[in-house]
Amino acid sequence: MSITANESGSYDSGQALPFVDSRLYTDQSIFEEELGKIWKGSWLPAVHESELAAPLDFRTITVAREPIVIVRGSDGKVRAFRNVCPHRGNLIVRKPAGNLALAEPSGNANHMTCMFHAWQFDSFGRCVDIPRMKQGYQDRLTKADVALTEVRSEVAYGGFVWLCLDPGAVSLAAYIGDAFGIMREELDTEPLDVFHYHKAYINSNYKLWHDTNSEFYHDYMHYFNRATSMMQKGYFERTYTAFPHGHATVGSMEVKYDAYEGVAERPLSFPGMPRNGWKMVDLFPGATFNIRGSSLRVDTMTPLGPNLVMIEFRGLGLKRDTAAERHQRIRDHNTIWGPFGRNLHEDLLGITGQGVAMRPGTEPRHILHGRRENNTIHDEIGMRHYYQEWGRVMGRSPSDPGRAHGLAAE
Amino acid sequence: MIAIDQQESVKAAVRELIYRASLLLDGERFGEWLDLCAPEFVYRIKAYSPEIRKEMIWLEHDRAGMQTLVEMLPRHNTDHGQLSRHATVYTVEMDGERDGVSAVTSFACYRTMLDGINSHLDAGETQLFLIGKYHDRFRLEGGRPLFVERNVLLDTRRLDKGSHYPI
Repeated sequence: MSITANESGSYDSGQALPFVDSRLYTDQSIFEEELGKIWKGSWLPAVHESELAAPLDFRTITVAREPIVIVRGSDGKVRAFRNVCPHRGNLIVRKPAGNLALAEPSGNANHMTCMFHAWQFDSFGRCVDIPRMKQGYQDRLTKADVALTEVRSEVAYGGFVWLCLDPGAVSLAAYIGDAFGIMREELDTEPLDVFHYHKAYINSNYKLWHDTNSEFYHDYMHYFNRATSMMQKGYFERTYTAFPHGHATVGSMEVKYDAYEGVAERPLSFPGMPRNGWKMVDLFPGATFNIRGSSLRVDTMTPLGPNLVMIEFRGLGLKRDTAAERHQRIRDHNTIWGPFGRNLHEDLLGITGQGVAMRPGTEPRHILHGRRENNTIHDEIGMRHYYQEWGRVMGRSPSDPGRAHGLAAE
Repeated sequence: MIAIDQQESVKAAVRELIYRASLLLDGERFGEWLDLCAPEFVYRIKAYSPEIRKEMIWLEHDRAGMQTLVEMLPRHNTDHGQLSRHATVYTVEMDGERDGVSAVTSFACYRTMLDGINSHLDAGETQLFLIGKYHDRFRLEGGRPLFVERNVLLDTRRLDKGSHYPI
């Protein structure tokens, strides 16, 4: 189900000039509340299945400060566990990625071993070895008592591994709804494969990065986008569609890549993707799927404080790519999206500046979200819709976070 | 095949070329830097990701592409911090079959901030931006070495805001 533009009040406060209070970006107590209510309660894309292609492959990540290990079991199924030893609370798997077939110095092959006291767990999370168990615990403890805690996980929507720390949250399908409808064919016709990964620590609030991904008015910052898109036919007809749970999508246009000197059009694509097309899906609370012709970029975030966020950037192509096709996709991706690309650096400078002007201790101010242009590309409906959901989940008014959501004079 | 008694002078010329290139890049004298490169020059920035367990290419251009890249810089918003490359040439080796030369250079690239964050507070501070190694290949033209390939292999993978500039 999508939410139409005319359902005013469902995601637009109706204020003449909507705004957000900057304390949403600076307040430590609001940040702590967000970790619990938003980040532990939402479904989040964590890693891509191609990063765990073989049985016993693993990846480690952190969600709302909680260490998580994602493992493809010996049965081929992907599972996620709290990466914390039930014995003394130590981190178990320490590397970012690898395969459990390689034995650790304290443990055996095929196991996750806590190096501290050599407690070992298999790829199903079962405890399989406790050194000198009988001597130390007699009959007071069984291995079944100390299995790793499994976290809800699902592989879906382009082969991403999605996690949710809240056992009582809605299903992933209910959480996403129809938000991927615009990109379903591109994501799920054929298996995808990650070719790019890098991360950035930015002294800014995580929501400001999602805002950047949720509005295109900032294309004035990008010469590349002005030349290849804003000056081209169809740009101002691109429209936003809002979906339940704070998600939004942006419709396609034909980008004229060769309008930027030294750049060619992008003949490669994805199944169902228009030639040189450009589609986006922005997911609450902090992920973006962005396809520009030949490459898919997926941004995921790990909030580290009110003024610090880690952003992970992935680039993906089709698993069946030939070497030449993959090389071309990587070149296209890097032109604007790599760490040395034209656009990403500019976008990150943008939110770095916001992080300077809105860091903890700065005076509260109103941040305008007031552009209304019939949901077209420079309308700020994507942000307003996001903050409507933020208010619902947090129970606070985005424009006056001291007031309850829905009761403020929004 | 270069005579053995000439090889040491070629190796010395290669070392000098690498250091000269570093000075020109530090000074953002990109046109003069490209003058040190052969027409078939290829530039790449690469890194290995232990997260996805793959070699990655983060930037790749031929000589014309690098020229366009630097010529377009004034049209882009960018971090104007000054990059300073501290390079040490580790090895220079002759390729006997192709009359070519290859070199491995360790480098650290520092950024002295100007406007990337809050200029009032941070301008003038120097931060380590990234470290890695240059894997360069050269050919001799009239006895003079020219870059034909530069592969910048980065150890640093968390680049935060990144950069618009060649490393």
